Amino acid sequence: MNRHPLLSWLSRYANVAGLLLALAAIFLFFWTQIVNTEGIHTFAKPENLQLIARQATIVGLAALGMTFVIISGGIDLSVGSAVALVSVVIAWFLRAGYDPAVALMMGLVAGAACGLLNGSLITGLKVTPFIVTLGTLLIFRGVAKWIGDEKKIDADLTWLNDLLRVLGKDEKWKVFPEGVWMTILLAVFLALVLRSSRFGRNVMAVGGNEQATRYAGVAVGKVRLAVYILMGFFVGMAGLMQFTRLSVGDPTVAQGLELDVIAAVVIGGASLSGGQGSIFGTIIGVLIMATIRAGCSQMGLSNYIQEIVTGGIIVAAIGLDRLRSRRSA
Amino acid sequence: MKLRQASWFGLAIALALGAGCGPKEEGGTSESGGGGGGGDKKFTIAMIPKGTTHEFWKSVEAGARDAEKELGNVEVIWKGPLKEDNKDEQVKVVEDFTGQGVDGIALAPLDDTALRIPAENAKKAGVPVLIFDSDLKDVDVVSFVATDNKKGGFMAGEHLAKLIGGKGKVVLLRYQEGSASTTFREEGFLEAMKANPGIELLSDNRYAGATVESALAESENLLSRFKNPDGSPGVDAIFCPNESSTAGMLRALQDGGWAGKVKFVGFDASAKLIEALEAGQLHGLILQNPRRMGYLAVKTMVESLQGKTPEKRIDTGATLVTKENMKEPDVAKLLEIP
Repeated sequence: MNRHPLLSWLSRYANVAGLLLALAAIFLFFWTQIVNTEGIHTFAKPENLQLIARQATIVGLAALGMTFVIISGGIDLSVGSAVALVSVVIAWFLRAGYDPAVALMMGLVAGAACGLLNGSLITGLKVTPFIVTLGTLLIFRGVAKWIGDEKKIDADLTWLNDLLRVLGKDEKWKVFPEGVWMTILLAVFLALVLRSSRFGRNVMAVGGNEQATRYAGVAVGKVRLAVYILMGFFVGMAGLMQFTRLSVGDPTVAQGLELDVIAAVVIGGASLSGGQGSIFGTIIGVLIMATIRAGCSQMGLSNYIQEIVTGGIIVAAIGLDRLRSRRSA
Repeated sequence: MKLRQASWFGLAIALALGAGCGPKEEGGTSESGGGGGGGDKKFTIAMIPKGTTHEFWKSVEAGARDAEKELGNVEVIWKGPLKEDNKDEQVKVVEDFTGQGVDGIALAPLDDTALRIPAENAKKAGVPVLIFDSDLKDVDVVSFVATDNKKGGFMAGEHLAKLIGGKGKVVLLRYQEGSASTTFREEGFLEAMKANPGIELLSDNRYAGATVESALAESENLLSRFKNPDGSPGVDAIFCPNESSTAGMLRALQDGGWAGKVKFVGFDASAKLIEALEAGQLHGLILQNPRRMGYLAVKTMVESLQGKTPEKRIDTGATLVTKENMKEPDVAKLLEIP
């Protein structure tokens, strides 16, 4: 790690460049392939870019939190269940007649509580995150079904459902709906935290070499706990967006979401063994996944082709991760 | 070194995409060009089912392809949610086709409220929406093409009443809370029961749940509740409103040694149920016509795109299948799996 600063800057730049190149190649591919009946290439139209951004928000928000978790050497498999739980909590409060702002807050609290539980179990019981979150995956899903009385909860439409709306003609100047802007701002904030704050450096250090970090006097347990609470907050945001899109609190929604989230983070260059990763990379990873999804769908490709392509790209990204760590070791 | 690796990654992805999607290219882009006046314009219709692997949807797709072949001026893109039965995935697919600007969307909504917003957005963007199989609340659509489930349930009830001569003890095992189509079937069935004063309804408030397993457990409990001291069933006839509840009840009857002794009518078909019908353990099945549903959905959409105003509600029909008529060509066609 004690390379010349210029060299390390260059290598980071190269990683990012590679990701951007991949995204551009994928985008260009779909741009050439998707032609509507009037012979117009629709994939690069502003409406379609907005669409990809809106569809990327849920995975994107969860992936921001997951980046911290994975950099710290952990994992969170309970994301999908927790997102469902948050959407059910929000719908429950709305149906009970509370103000949308209260429902939103309670959703975020529920998300953070999920994170707190995960973090406490991991640091308190000293069990690996994989096992703990495998357990809470079932617990959160069960609680969501319990609150929803094993049904989805219908709630009236409120301003919460406008966060990811399709922008009308008179508000095109906003470029993206509020939900997307919130995600972008949070991403910028987290990137600064990761790069420039003591907390960010500690997270990197814990994931890179836990023993050395402990000897250096960092309270590793506290860092871990904070990372999972942060994850919980972002799961809360993702759950809010899930509710925004569906307008119902559905305890069965978002099954397997955690896999999309982890895949996006890994494509973005984070190492599953910890200590490596960036917010910018994660965002590109999320966009790559969302672009493939939207592109395959708009081409009308069969689902099995789409799954094989997406899987191939994940494997390629992880293969590259292995290659990188072998070279630097 | 790093730079080279990274660019390899980009190149590899581009290649993977080219290889993965290449063979589809010829069929993927339609070269209709939109010329030739309103009458023989070629339309692209996106058809979005609830899932893609279930037999029922395979039949719907077969029907849609029939219409595609027959009409000649329409291309059907068949694309379900990537994860089966996932509402958010289905919302995304609707958005994708709206953004791409197809001529029309035919949708079988996974949820009567959650798909409301994307359907409205499609309409706003000028893409007409037709609903098939299951209803969508509060949205004005081109047409709703589906089985009249209430009528299907009523047919089942009438058949069952005839089987027991208009009098006896009857059990209705419901499917699941909040499932619209089966609730209509149950309502239709109960209506038919009311017309027969000699029939005593022993139970109509129990639910089978989502799976065959849960239906089996519920059926066992129900049957043991009404069992006579001498071990005879104590029930004259049973109705179940869908495939999984019928299959669960059938298993319970077989286990108890009562299969064939109790008159039993179900809904929808599977290989197991057809076998039971042949063996005389099941005395009637109400079948929907998914192939006709797919066919009519495409046909109705095209008619609407050509400027005609289709009916708001199109019934795709329900058929009573018994051991006696199951070999008739029309009925056998319904039973075969594409």
